[in-house]
Amino acid sequence: MARRSILIFGYGNHGRRIAKGLREDGYKIKIVDTDAEHIALATEEGFDAVEKLDLGSDETIASLSPQEYDKVVCVMDDEHYNVFITLSLHSLYSDLHIVAISDSIHTTKKLYMAGAKKVIDMYEASAHKIHNILTKPIATKLLEDFILSKEGIAFMEMTVPEGSSFVGKYTDEVDFSKYDVILVGMVDLELHRGFEFMTTGHNHKIDAGDMLVCMGEVEKLHIFKRIVERSGRRE
Amino acid sequence: MNDLILKLAKKLYHSSRYRRFKATVRALLTDTSNPYKRYVDVFIIFLIVTSVIILVYEVRHPVPEWMDFYDIYVVSFIFVVEYLARLWIQDDISERIVREYHDAKFLERPFSLKRPLKAAILSKLRYMVTPAAIVDLMAIFPAYRPLRVLRIFILFRVFKILRYTKSINQFVEVLKNKKFELYTLLFLVAFVVMTAGIAIYVFEAHVNDNIDNLFDAIYWALVTISTVGYGDISPVTSEGRAVSIVIIVSGIAMISFATSVIVSAFSEKLDEIKENRIVEQINKHDHFLIICGFGHLTKMFLRQAPERFTRYIILDPDEERVEQARKEGYNAIKEDASRSEVLSRFNLEKNNVTLLAVTGSDVENIYITLTAKSIARHVKVIARASSREMVPKFLHAGADDILLPHEVVNNMIHIAITQPVMYKALHAVLTGHDVARIYEIVADRYDRMEGVTLGLLDFRRFKMIFLGIWRGGRFVFNPPKTTAIERHDVILVIAKEVSMEYFDEVMKERYGG
Repeated sequence: MARRSILIFGYGNHGRRIAKGLREDGYKIKIVDTDAEHIALATEEGFDAVEKLDLGSDETIASLSPQEYDKVVCVMDDEHYNVFITLSLHSLYSDLHIVAISDSIHTTKKLYMAGAKKVIDMYEASAHKIHNILTKPIATKLLEDFILSKEGIAFMEMTVPEGSSFVGKYTDEVDFSKYDVILVGMVDLELHRGFEFMTTGHNHKIDAGDMLVCMGEVEKLHIFKRIVERSGRRE
Repeated sequence: MNDLILKLAKKLYHSSRYRRFKATVRALLTDTSNPYKRYVDVFIIFLIVTSVIILVYEVRHPVPEWMDFYDIYVVSFIFVVEYLARLWIQDDISERIVREYHDAKFLERPFSLKRPLKAAILSKLRYMVTPAAIVDLMAIFPAYRPLRVLRIFILFRVFKILRYTKSINQFVEVLKNKKFELYTLLFLVAFVVMTAGIAIYVFEAHVNDNIDNLFDAIYWALVTISTVGYGDISPVTSEGRAVSIVIIVSGIAMISFATSVIVSAFSEKLDEIKENRIVEQINKHDHFLIICGFGHLTKMFLRQAPERFTRYIILDPDEERVEQARKEGYNAIKEDASRSEVLSRFNLEKNNVTLLAVTGSDVENIYITLTAKSIARHVKVIARASSREMVPKFLHAGADDILLPHEVVNNMIHIAITQPVMYKALHAVLTGHDVARIYEIVADRYDRMEGVTLGLLDFRRFKMIFLGIWRGGRFVFNPPKTTAIERHDVILVIAKEVSMEYFDEVMKERYGG
């Protein structure tokens, strides 16, 4: 995967953890914050691309040339800022991929209106988790462990390359259990429907460029991913 | 004689049947959370109402014999039984006797029935002189026919209703809180009435034909001060009229005083009464949710599935937030959940309660967790923590599940950036959109599923994604098809709701359950 770059606004509660997580995954990160303390902390914790900016004007935002980044993340502690930055960014560069955080239903709505591509609600997932804990405690715990890959089991997405041995096969034909992974869902380019769970029961034809989302033990997943990608070259 | 009573007491004391019976009777008569008490209440109220109807009807009509019989014997008999039952459950003589016997043995003093009997009788007497018990007793009297005047005691049966209707009890309760003000008022009225009565008697007894004695004078003063003013007695002298002027003016003052006292007592108590009612309502269920703190998380939680959880109560110490919750139509009361007295009001021990400690502060949440766990160990507590560092503290406090909203969000942002397709998948599973949900299938739910292999269950046919089995506290990921289901297994699948329902239907048919 090419080194992708991310622009993060805010190095507070959320920004800090997200930036660190992304750095571990090998992303190129640029951090911007209005608060001098946050900036100092970011520098101290080893981020070199850090800048303290007053985000009030369009020129300063343009000076960051956000269009050069793959994604922009708005996670300032103050939600007003998030909405404001999203709005400024969107008005300057309308096709920017902006991910923002929100802490209430009203803010979520505003952020979408301001032009954010993805808004993650602080409480939506957590609130749902309570429901899940109450109705299906084991599944909830496990699912969380899968996400954090604590049980050694994780989700992984992989793109089927041109000429892979999987190209042209139907999902029902492939015996995924041979590889010890589970096919959870996929993006079938032909259908233009985006991600679809296998629960729809559709028998997908795998083409080059389709994306498979699998679940399994981490090593098995890596092996499987290699099989999907490598076998193409061999044939 | 002593020995015989002691033997009897011991037998009763150790008879579990006797104790159970007594407990049942007690619950039926006094425990408001007992579901059958309602029926007893309604039945007694029915008896009272019919009895009063007969009393009124009798005034002008001859009553048929069966009605008389019903009124005198049936109703009275049931009231006697009720009275005795209440007296019986008031104290436990057998227990006292047995205790005394053991004490005596321990202290090596001669055993005597006197002490326990005295204590028991005193306790029963104390009950008998309470207003409620007196009313109960009076309500029985009309059964004695030869004394006609006792018929009016049927009205005491109406008072008996007081015991069975909560609203009147609450009214009395509210007024009790204003005892001081009401006594002051009563004293003032009595004082003015007496003075005015005596004054008018002195001024007019010899000139006014209507005033024969002091009673007439006081009666006139009361009728005037209360602004009723029948006019059957009216002052005829200027002095008398001057007295009238004074008491009419003071009467207006006193009536407004009385009104304001009662109104303010109610407005003070109204919230409490409302809250008590909510608490009582919720306590009737055997499993419910207590949500501590009304913030964004709670709002989101309630909004996500309003139909799924109807049995909940929100506790929040902040007036404004409670007000807001009520405005949005949620069951909320203004209470501080970290106080033991507050949580004790819910039958934590008896009921299957889940408590959500989701206030904005970790300190508060830990405190609530501890409070709940100290009242009843088995209460399930789901607590919200602000960061991972707090988790050990919550675990130590006894929280069963810990929510980390910040971490959940951070993970989601991370995934949204690194694996955007998966984000969609996870988001759907986590937030339970209908495309797919994660389900737990408990094998014990079906009678004969034990020993069946996974291949036979054929999840693929139901368009379900089989993930694995939770077995003996461990998760077995994607076991081979030949694996047989064991007792207590929990099977994890991702499926659409319809698939899951269909699966359940077929499995029930196939394996019973």
